[in-house]
Amino acid sequence: MKEPLPFDHRPDLVLGRALREALDPGDAQVFTARVVALAGQVRVASWDAVLARWARAGVAAALVVALAAGYFVGHATAASPSAVRPTVSDVLIAPPAHPGEVEVVLASVIGNN
Amino acid sequence: MTDPQPPQQVARIAQQDEADLVARAVAGERAAFGILVERYAGVARRVARAVLGNPEDADDAAQDAMLSALVKLEQYDARRPFGPWLLRIVANAATDRRRRRSVRRVESLDVGLTAGGPRPDTTAERRALNERLRQALAELPERRRMAVVLFDVEGYSHGEIALILGIPEGTVRSEVFHARRRLRVLLADWKEEG
Repeated sequence: MKEPLPFDHRPDLVLGRALREALDPGDAQVFTARVVALAGQVRVASWDAVLARWARAGVAAALVVALAAGYFVGHATAASPSAVRPTVSDVLIAPPAHPGEVEVVLASVIGNN
Repeated sequence: MTDPQPPQQVARIAQQDEADLVARAVAGERAAFGILVERYAGVARRVARAVLGNPEDADDAAQDAMLSALVKLEQYDARRPFGPWLLRIVANAATDRRRRRSVRRVESLDVGLTAGGPRPDTTAERRALNERLRQALAELPERRRMAVVLFDVEGYSHGEIALILGIPEGTVRSEVFHARRRLRVLLADWKEEG
């Protein structure tokens, strides 16, 4: 019989059989039943459970950010009322800052005539 | 009678079947997980035993690995074969357990049998051979043990073993080579003694 080479690319059936017997773990049914029973206590991390877990934290974080943003925007607006710019109608209705200017112009025009 | 299906087709069907089982297990179907456990219990326990030596420790490691796999099932890529993915978890669980615990030495051999003493019957002979093989395995480096068991006992390819052990394929070939050389010497000695 030809001696099998250690670098053979095929499994060595004789060695494989001997090792399988040496490592034989025995009753598979008991092991399977035990693992399946314990599996009932293990919670599988399903996608909806993961999402739900993250969603709670996400909503809380968004709430905090929204409150903080509201506070800062409100605070900034109240702190600088002079920054409000007048509208066009305000400028037209409001009395002129220097009423004398118009009279001087009129007097000079009439005087020239 | 129908012709047997080619091995590649059989493997593809098995892979689809396993992907389906995984999907059902993720959905919470306990029976589907039970089928996967039943299918891989043997190989998982043998690989763990090759690493740990002690059968009780090996079963604990295989059990931990199976339950860990159940938790991680969502991470499994259904386009890839399930076996190597699971066995990687098993190999890691066994290695971790070995590191954590001081592994009890495999029971010492019956001196009468190893010294070529009288052989009461075939059963005793086989038991002694098994014991010697286990001891010879225990003397090999851990990775070498797993490589030879996965290749010669479980029939995985070098590529699949490379995936399981997380090492290059060339290293797997080398590990199998060295393990075989050692174990074949032991087997040959046994035959000559007999």
